[in-house]
Amino acid sequence: MKTTIQKQDGNLIAILEGRLDTAASQEVEKAIQPLYDCDGQDVIIDCTNMEYISSSGLRIFLGILKNTKAKGGHVYIKGISDDIRAVFAMTGFINLFEFK
Amino acid sequence: MGKNVTLDSHGEALMQQYRERRPSLELLAKEAYEVLSSALREQGIYVTAIEYRVKAENSLAGKLELKGAKYKSIDDITDLVGMRVITFYTDDVDKVAAIAKSVFDIDWKESVDKRKLHQLDSFGYNSLHYICRMKSGGPRFELQMRTGLQHVWSTIEHDIRYKGDVKIPREYARQFSRLAGMLELIDDEFSRLRMVLTDYRRQIRSLVKDGQLDEVPLSVDSFRSYLDLAPFDRLNKRIAAVNQAEIYPVSLMPFLPVLESFGLVTLGDVQRFIEENSDEAYQLALSQLAVTDLDILSSSAALQYLCLVHVLKHDGGREGLKAIFDTINGESVANAALADMMLEQAQTLPFMQRIGN
Repeated sequence: MKTTIQKQDGNLIAILEGRLDTAASQEVEKAIQPLYDCDGQDVIIDCTNMEYISSSGLRIFLGILKNTKAKGGHVYIKGISDDIRAVFAMTGFINLFEFK
Repeated sequence: MGKNVTLDSHGEALMQQYRERRPSLELLAKEAYEVLSSALREQGIYVTAIEYRVKAENSLAGKLELKGAKYKSIDDITDLVGMRVITFYTDDVDKVAAIAKSVFDIDWKESVDKRKLHQLDSFGYNSLHYICRMKSGGPRFELQMRTGLQHVWSTIEHDIRYKGDVKIPREYARQFSRLAGMLELIDDEFSRLRMVLTDYRRQIRSLVKDGQLDEVPLSVDSFRSYLDLAPFDRLNKRIAAVNQAEIYPVSLMPFLPVLESFGLVTLGDVQRFIEENSDEAYQLALSQLAVTDLDILSSSAALQYLCLVHVLKHDGGREGLKAIFDTINGESVANAALADMMLEQAQTLPFMQRIGN
């Protein structure tokens, strides 16, 4: 699992590549720390090369959402595959996020 | 200072005192603002705006030129620091005033309720002015309280009246008065409407509480009250039990337009919609979640599955399913793929077989 954090046009971009499963979640949690320290910017989670997401991954997304919203920002999910979108739909998480 | 303003020596002396005090006046303005806004917040009073300012040098110079002799010292000028609270409703002006009384010391001799100055048959500037002092002492400051409409009227009136040096003819002054009268009427109507709606909400809550759901039209307010009864909890828990999932609470209000699009008119209709679709919604959720180890769900899951099943049972097909996701999450081509997936997974379920036969 590879996690990259970038700043672009005043937004924070988290590029998540690979399988976001329970094993990878701790490492991802650490890598996305800069998102938690953000100051009201919008966060874009780029899932173009994400292959899989588990419940641990959904909890990470939820953590980002709660933190960003509390500071007045928005979270957008970008480039999500149909399979991962299906996970968001069957858990009802699709109603929580904004998709690009 | 303004180019055309000439001050006598007394005026100049007052101006000098003002300049020396300016930093402490800035602090006072900020402190008074913070005290009042925090008190309003604590009391749950929502207002359109709270503004504060320290009188600009130009403005003070104009005042001193006109009536400088009236003031012995700078302390006699009570509006060097000014604060203004603009409320939504007329009733709130009095609430703000009551709160101001509790957090500031009021100089009643100097305070004035302009709303009561008008004759019965005249209309004009309506605002409540208090001259206040911090409880801890210090210089006095002015607090103006008025509604948004009163504020609009006085801002426009001030702009026009002081713009030119030509005196406004009587007929035009009368038009201003007429407008003030009209706005006073509108302010009263807004207050009355707020009271009527508060009563209506109370009635709806009581009907919902008593279970008389067929008598309650489906609306933003009634649906919100209905959600207090946690009508989707049972199904959510049943679905969550599939994977011993935790349920993350979210607002279900975005589903209201979907329910309305189904032709549900009363809360009774919503109740029947739940009863008629719960078993099938569970079947659909089970078919999707049982093959995963997803152990977290949003509390919108039950309602989402109910909506999907309702569409499938009413032959809404792919377009109907897509419309649900479009309504909740905004229109997107990707929602068509989701609709296809839901449709495909539902095909094998008993209720779909029955519909097919």
